Amino acid sequence: MMSAGLRPSHFQVLVLFALAVSVALGFLSRREPRERLKYIARSLFWFLLIGVGIGWVMYPFSR
Amino acid sequence: MTEEIAAKIEAPSRPQADSRAIAVAIAGWLIPGLGHLLLRMWGRALACFFSVGALVFVGAGMRGNLFSWEGADPFSRLGFVADAGAGVFYWVAKSIEGGVSDVSHSYGDYGTRFLATAGVLNLLAALHAYEAARGRKA
Repeated sequence: MMSAGLRPSHFQVLVLFALAVSVALGFLSRREPRERLKYIARSLFWFLLIGVGIGWVMYPFSR
Repeated sequence: MTEEIAAKIEAPSRPQADSRAIAVAIAGWLIPGLGHLLLRMWGRALACFFSVGALVFVGAGMRGNLFSWEGADPFSRLGFVADAGAGVFYWVAKSIEGGVSDVSHSYGDYGTRFLATAGVLNLLAALHAYEAARGRKA
């Protein structure tokens, strides 16, 4: 069906993964809308920070 | 006294509640979000459906590897368990990919992780629906 396939950037992949997982976990683990929003925002922030952080740490070994 | 008798009549018996909870969990596994939908937890149902759906669609679009049960090693079988956790979306992913995965690029590798995460996330949601149906968690 898709011969070439999707080709998002590495950062887009990271954001999409973090968003999907954060939303699902936020809705499952919290009841109140405000609490959910806080959980999703916090989870998304840590996903992105740790993801980019690990990327920077590995950068010297990439070549 | 009358209220106690009425409550005993209306409340489902333990085995009945257990079988209902199992049915809810299976429904939630087969179609992401359906378990919570049956429990009238609309927000959770939509969040599960769209999160798992997005991960499967993008993962398959990036030509991630979908494991099959006939894998050569235990890790492949474990991969299949993770992928099959997405329920009907497993076959949706297969139809999107057309049976051809490509992990020679980083995209394919990312796609493999997306598909496995979708399955594990859906299994978690089905377990949550099961617990909610038993009245343990909401």
